Amino acid sequence: MSGAAPARPPARPAEPTRLRHRWFAWLWLVVVLGSVAHNGWVWFVEKRTPETDILALLPASERDPAVNKAMAAVTEAAQQRVVVLVGHRNWGDARRAAAAYRGVLDRYGQWFRPDRTPVMDRAEALAPWWARRSALLTADDRRALDRGMPDQWTASALQNLSSPLGVGRVGAWQDDPFGLFRHWVQARAAETPVRPADGVLRVADSTLVYVLLPVTLAAEAFSLTAQQAVVPVLEEARAAALHAAPGSRVLTAGVILFAAAAANQANTEVSIIGWGSLAGIVVLMWFTFRSPLPIGLVVLSLAVGTLGALSVSALLFDKLHLITLVFGASLVGVAEDYGIHYLCQRIGDRRDPWVVMRELLPGLAFALLTTGVAYLGLALTPFPGLRQMAVFSAAGLVFAWLTVIVWFPQLERSPSRETRFSAWLGATRERWPTLRRDRRTAAVLVVTAIVIVAGLARVTTDDDIRLLNFTPPALVAEQREVGRILRAPAPSQFFLLRAADDEALLVREEALRVRLDSLVARGVLTGYQATSAWVPSLATQARDQALIAGLYATGGPLDRLGAALGERTAWAQATRARLTTPANGLTVTDWLANPVAGPYRHLWLGAVDRQRASVVALQGVDAGDLAQLRAVAGVVPGVTWVDKVADVSALMGRHRRQMTGVVIVSFALLWVLLLPRYGRRAWRVLAPTVIGILLALAACGLAGQPLQLFHILALLLILGMGVDYGIFLEEHPGQHDHKAWLAVALSAASTLLSFGLLGVSATPALRTFGITMLLGIGVVTLIAPCFCTSRGVGD
Amino acid sequence: MKRALLLSALALVGPSLAAQGTDNVERIRALLVRPDILCGQFAQAKVLVGLQRPVKSSGRFCVVVDKGILWRTLRPFPTTLRLTRDDIVESRGEETTARLSARQEPAVRMINDLLFSLLAGDMQRLTGSFDITSAIDGKSWQARLAPREGGMQRVIGGIDLTGGEFVNHIVIREASGDRTEITFSAIATGKGAMQADEARQF
Repeated sequence: MSGAAPARPPARPAEPTRLRHRWFAWLWLVVVLGSVAHNGWVWFVEKRTPETDILALLPASERDPAVNKAMAAVTEAAQQRVVVLVGHRNWGDARRAAAAYRGVLDRYGQWFRPDRTPVMDRAEALAPWWARRSALLTADDRRALDRGMPDQWTASALQNLSSPLGVGRVGAWQDDPFGLFRHWVQARAAETPVRPADGVLRVADSTLVYVLLPVTLAAEAFSLTAQQAVVPVLEEARAAALHAAPGSRVLTAGVILFAAAAANQANTEVSIIGWGSLAGIVVLMWFTFRSPLPIGLVVLSLAVGTLGALSVSALLFDKLHLITLVFGASLVGVAEDYGIHYLCQRIGDRRDPWVVMRELLPGLAFALLTTGVAYLGLALTPFPGLRQMAVFSAAGLVFAWLTVIVWFPQLERSPSRETRFSAWLGATRERWPTLRRDRRTAAVLVVTAIVIVAGLARVTTDDDIRLLNFTPPALVAEQREVGRILRAPAPSQFFLLRAADDEALLVREEALRVRLDSLVARGVLTGYQATSAWVPSLATQARDQALIAGLYATGGPLDRLGAALGERTAWAQATRARLTTPANGLTVTDWLANPVAGPYRHLWLGAVDRQRASVVALQGVDAGDLAQLRAVAGVVPGVTWVDKVADVSALMGRHRRQMTGVVIVSFALLWVLLLPRYGRRAWRVLAPTVIGILLALAACGLAGQPLQLFHILALLLILGMGVDYGIFLEEHPGQHDHKAWLAVALSAASTLLSFGLLGVSATPALRTFGITMLLGIGVVTLIAPCFCTSRGVGD
Repeated sequence: MKRALLLSALALVGPSLAAQGTDNVERIRALLVRPDILCGQFAQAKVLVGLQRPVKSSGRFCVVVDKGILWRTLRPFPTTLRLTRDDIVESRGEETTARLSARQEPAVRMINDLLFSLLAGDMQRLTGSFDITSAIDGKSWQARLAPREGGMQRVIGGIDLTGGEFVNHIVIREASGDRTEITFSAIATGKGAMQADEARQF
C-alpha cells in the first residue's frame, strides 16, 4: 500500500452508528467546556498559584511523624526570614551601608514585618535566669565544683577584681562574686557569634565586620506576587548599601530567594519547552500537510489535552508544583502522536473517516494504554512531585486521545493530499535496512551487543538528593557563606529526642549533651543548640543549687573571700542570705514565653504521638563526621539521628531498584498483552524498545554518568512510547506502507524535540530525564522499521 | 547656674554644637602623644556596692599599637592579663588561668578595642559608641563618655577620662553602681619603655 487511495469505494457506516458518533462528539464538547470552565475557576477566580517550594517535591518521612514534625518546625522557622549581612573592613562603614540597606526596606514597609526587636538588652531579657542564678552552672563550673578545691574559687574571685575589665557583667559584683552567672551567660552567648553592638547586631569573620539585618517577610515566601515584589526591593537595597559604602559586601539568604529563582527558572522553561515543541510540531505539520486544517486539529488536541491535564491535576492536588508544569510541558511532544497517526493515515484516503478511525482504533488504544501505564508507573514512587507529573501527563494523554477519537472524524471530512515532503519521508521506509538472516545483520547485532555489554559493565549508581535541586549555584554559595559566618546549625541533620514528659526529655537532652560536649572539645562539632542549655532539667537545677550552696556555706569560699577583702563577717552573711534564697525551678513554659527563646523556639516540638519531643541542632557538621554523630544516637536512649539528606537519598536508591524491577516486569506484561494480537510477531514490537533502553543505559555507563532514579523513570517512559512506535508499524507491516512510518517519524521528531528541550532544563533531575528520553526514543525510532515484518516474508 | 546657662546657649546654637564637639575631639587628639608603645604604672581601685573598702591593686601596663594590651597586676598578688586581637588570656605566673578567644566570644575584639581606645585616649574611635562632652584647659583635658545605645547603657553608666599628653585617669562607672578608678603614672614611650619579660608576651 502506498499513499494512494484504496481502490474500493468509500464505505459508509449505518445511520444509527453515525448518530451515536455525533452524540459522543457533543458529549465530549460538554466535558471539554466543563474543563475550560473549571480551569477558569481555578486560575482566575480561586487564583491558585503554582507551588515553588522545593521541599514539597520530597516525600514526607515514611515512618516517623516526629521526624516530620521536626522537619516542618525547622523549615517553618526559616521560611519567612531573609538574613542579610552587610559587611565592610571597617565597622563604621558597615553600619553606614547597613543603614542604607534598611532605609530601602523601610520604604517598602508593606512587604516586611517590623522586626521583632532582636534581643539587644540582655540584662532585661535574662532577668528570669538572673533571678534563678543560684541554680545555674556551666558544665565547666560544675566540674570544678565537683572537684572541690575551695581555695581556687577565692583566688580566682580576687584575681578578677584586679582586672580593669568588669564590663559585660549583669548586676553588681556582689551579686555574683564568683562569676558563675557571668560564665553561664558567656556559654549561652557562645551559641551564636552575633553580638549586639552600637544598636545593631554585629558579627565578624576573619576579614570583614558585618551588620546582621534580620528581615521578616509580611507575605508568604512561596507566593509568586511576594517574590516578584520582594526580590527587586532586596536588589535595590543591596545597590543602596554598596553606594553608601563602596567596598561593602552584601550577603543575602532566605527561602524566598530560592523560591523566586526556582519560579523564574520554571517559567522560562515551561515557555521554552511548551512553545518550542508546539512550534516544532506546527512546522513539521506544515511541511507534511501544507494545509491549515491538520495543524489546527493537532493544536486542538494538544489544547484539550493540556486543559484536561490541568483540570484533573487541580482536582486531585491542592497545589501544582512548578516542576510538574515544566515536565508537563514536554507532554506537547507526546500527546500529538494520536492525532498525527490518524491524520497521516487519512492522507489521500477517500473512505469515510469513521471507517479509517475504526481501523486505527485498536492500535491507538494499545498506544494509549502502554504510554498511560508507563506514566502511571511514576506514580508508584512516594515522591509527591513525580505523582503530580504522572497524573498530569496521563490525564493530558487521555484527553488528547479522546479528542482525536471523537472529534477528528467529525471535523476532518475530506482527506489531505500527499505533499512532496510527506511522500519523501514516508518513502524512506523502503530504503530502511531490515533485519535479515545475513552477515551484515549479524555483524551489526554483534557490535551492538558489545557496546551494550561494555556500557552496562561500567554502569554506576548515585542517589544524591541534590539532583532535585533547582537552585543556581551562586545562591547556594551565598547561603553557605551566610551559614558559615553565622555558624548556623545544619538544617537537615539533627538529633530528635523523645520522652514521656518534659522533665524526662530534658534529662535525655542533658545525657546527649555530655557526649556532644566531648565532640565539640574534639572539634567534630563547633557547637549545638538545645533547649536544656537554657532550661536545665529540674534534677540538674536541684543538683547545681546544692553545689553552688557549697560555695556560700559557712567557712567556705565566700567567707574566705570576705576575709581576704577585709570585710566584716556581716558582709558574708548578708551575701549568703541573698544568694542562696531558693527560687522556683525554671520550666520550659517560662522559656518559650521569653523573647530570648525566639531563635530557638522551634527546637521544642512539644507533644508528638503522646510523647514529648525536642530537637538538638548541630553547628559545624562535616559530611565526614556523620557516621560518628549517628553512632552517638545509638548510645543515648530516646535519641534518633535524623539526616534528611541521607534519608531521601536512601529512598531514591530504594525506588531506583524497585523501578528497575517495574521496568522489567512491564516488558513481560506488555509481551503478554501483545501476544493475542501479534502472536509470534510480538517480539518485533518490543525488540526496538528493549535495544533502545539497553543502549541508553550503556551510554550512561560509557559516559561515566551514574544512574539515578530519574534514569530508570525515563526508561519506563521510553518503554511506554517506544512500544507505541512498534505497535503502529506492526499494525501496518511491510516496507511499502508509508503512512504508518510517516506518522511514527513525525511523532518521534516532536517527542525528541520536547525531551531534547527538557534536556536543557536547569533542574538536574529533569535534564537527566530529557537526555535519557532523547537517547532512548532516538534509538527506538531509528531501529523500529528494521524489526518490522516485511510483507510476504514469514517470521 | 553656669551649667543651665551653657545648656540654653547650646540650645540656641544647636548645629554648631556638633562642630564644637568634633573640634574638641580634634584638639584633644592634637594634645595627645600617640606612641607605638606606651608603658607605665597603674593604681586601680574598685569601689563595689556593699563593700566597706575599695579593692585596690596596682602594677604595670603596656599598650602596643597593632598588638594589644598587657595588664600586669603586681599587688596584692601577681597576675597578668593580655588582650590581643584574637584573645584575652589571664595568667598567674606560668599558668594560664583563663582564656577567652575571639572565636568563642566575638566580643573579645570589641572589649579589646574599647580598652585600647580608652588607654590611648582615641576619641575618634570612641565617638562611635559614646556621646562625648569634653573640656580643655591649656594642655590638659577632660572627657565624659555616655554610652549611646541601650544595651551598653545597662552595663556602663559612663566613663570619665582625664589627661594631657597621655590619659592620666580613668573612671568607669557601671550601671550597677560599681566603679573602677585607674590612675596612671611613670609613663614612658618607645621601645625602651617595655621590660624584657613584657616584650616577650607579644
